[in-house]
Amino acid sequence: TKRYSVHVIVLCDPQEEQMRDILSSCPQCPPSAGRRKNLEFEPLSTTALILEDRPANLPAKSMEETQRHKLEYEEMVAGAKRRELKEAQKKKRQMKERHRQEDIISNAMVIWNNEILPHWDTMYVSGTRRVRELWWAGLPPSVRGRVWSLAIGNELNITAELYEIFLSRAKEKWRSYSETSSVNDSESDGGASLADRESSLDLIKLDISRTFPSLFIFQKGGPYHDLLHSVLGAYTCYRPDIGYVQGMSFIAAVLILNLEEAEAFITFANLLNKPCQMAFFRVDHELMLKYFSAFEVFFEENLPHLFNHFQTNSLTPDLYLIDWIFTLYSKSLPLDVACRVWDVFCRDGEESLFRTGLGILRLYEDVLLQMDFIHIAQFLSRLPEDLQSHTLFNAMANTHMVSRNRRWAQVSA
Amino acid sequence: METIWLYQFRLIVIGDSTVGKSCLIRRFTEGRFAQVSDPTVGVDFFSRLVEIEPGKRIKLQIWDTAGQERFRSITRAYYRNSVGGLLLFDITNRRSFQNVHNWLEEAQSHVQPHSIVFLLVGHKCDLEAQRQVTQQEAEKLAGAYGMRYVETSARDAINVEKAFVDLTRDIFELVRSGDIKIQDGWEGVKSGFVPNTVHSSEEVTKGGRQCFC
Repeated sequence: TKRYSVHVIVLCDPQEEQMRDILSSCPQCPPSAGRRKNLEFEPLSTTALILEDRPANLPAKSMEETQRHKLEYEEMVAGAKRRELKEAQKKKRQMKERHRQEDIISNAMVIWNNEILPHWDTMYVSGTRRVRELWWAGLPPSVRGRVWSLAIGNELNITAELYEIFLSRAKEKWRSYSETSSVNDSESDGGASLADRESSLDLIKLDISRTFPSLFIFQKGGPYHDLLHSVLGAYTCYRPDIGYVQGMSFIAAVLILNLEEAEAFITFANLLNKPCQMAFFRVDHELMLKYFSAFEVFFEENLPHLFNHFQTNSLTPDLYLIDWIFTLYSKSLPLDVACRVWDVFCRDGEESLFRTGLGILRLYEDVLLQMDFIHIAQFLSRLPEDLQSHTLFNAMANTHMVSRNRRWAQVSA
Repeated sequence: METIWLYQFRLIVIGDSTVGKSCLIRRFTEGRFAQVSDPTVGVDFFSRLVEIEPGKRIKLQIWDTAGQERFRSITRAYYRNSVGGLLLFDITNRRSFQNVHNWLEEAQSHVQPHSIVFLLVGHKCDLEAQRQVTQQEAEKLAGAYGMRYVETSARDAINVEKAFVDLTRDIFELVRSGDIKIQDGWEGVKSGFVPNTVHSSEEVTKGGRQCFC
């Protein structure tokens, strides 16, 4: 349309004007206003008039004036052309950048598919620098789920068949629950165990509706609603000692987005079985405090100013870390950023979760230093939606998980 | 710049999961009914100013806690520094009402040496047809524990303002009478910034730099 717009100016003469009037009066033809909207350079049709002679009842243009108008007109056309050129160049640059990113991803995909995944055991254990860097840069979405499930592993030796068994048990439970609850008034229900079970089922139902609500896929009627329900239900049957704990729905949802059903369950159960996740989902207060105090050691080491500021404001790490760790950042970070945090978590383990937390604090240090208790607490539980993964990862790269020669594992032990 | 307020009260909101704690708070602080809200994991934070008398503003710092039983070992640590509490149950869910005294016991055993002014809230009163707890029995229970009772609906905005403002007034009276004292190292009540005092001018000069908040 831009080319066309220049074309119009050049051709614009009284006859064309007349033509346009005729066209615009024709009901089948698009109105001229509509046509004009398509022109990038809005005042074109009137600027073109600059070349015309004045109407007969007005004094005619002098030679100089005509000449000046001609120059002005040429200037305008040249300006429009410059703008077009600039736009085109910008588009070209953007396309180039997009192609570059796509190339990086497809190159990475080839490397993951051809070189790393087939030799997973040796590659993962040896953890070469190249693999680690590739991993840090973000897993290509097409291999992400596979890499996650391989990295998290299957220590628990869960099979797809075992998942089916627990799923059918969960379904049996839901059936009997919905039958009894319609007959039974809750006042007449028996021991606490029944009450717990019911509330847990209700809670799963409620939480599913509030898991990534903006995606509209886990809510009732959404394509992944039943899947999420199944995975969580099967887990409560598989680990009745842990049951459903709020926060789990987010972890299961992220896995479901990246893996097929049984694989998502297997990875979910194994992920929750990691020491840090066990401590949190069992709400083992003693162990959690250990993690918090280890976090504070590295907090003070990396960001002493902010650490002091938090101390003065009685802002303890439990107030923000609980939410972050329970949901592996998937509730408070934009989903694409959270996935990259998960990538690193699969590479580096629990230490990376605390490193991510410190990365967030570093990223917003200047802002947080200006805030009081309630503003910090609110800010950290609702992180900015425009948080970019590259800025967070820069901040994480500048966060060192060494304190007085001691690493995370030693400090948190 | 921070709006000027007389006191800051920290309130904690407790009750079984799914009784609607977050919805009630969001109705109060954001003025709208949130169709979907995140499940609270651990604790979430809200704040709002309340004018209890012309020119007398109280800043409320509201701690929204996870209702799931499992989280109690975490949330019980937050009682100590709260001056007031809204204890919610769902009028359509009898069990959440039966758990009220568990919640009170839990709170009372962890708030020492301080105490919390509680308000009992029967939530979701728009669902009259599904009511499982009568107003009379709830009032009786509240009376037995020396609490006020109010029925609210976040969906229909019934008594939401009243619940928070009444509780705030009650606490304010106790502060004014000296029954509740401001103490160093206790976050329940904080003295605010009053105009024409050294305090407020400090805040004003600070305000110039921290326009971000």
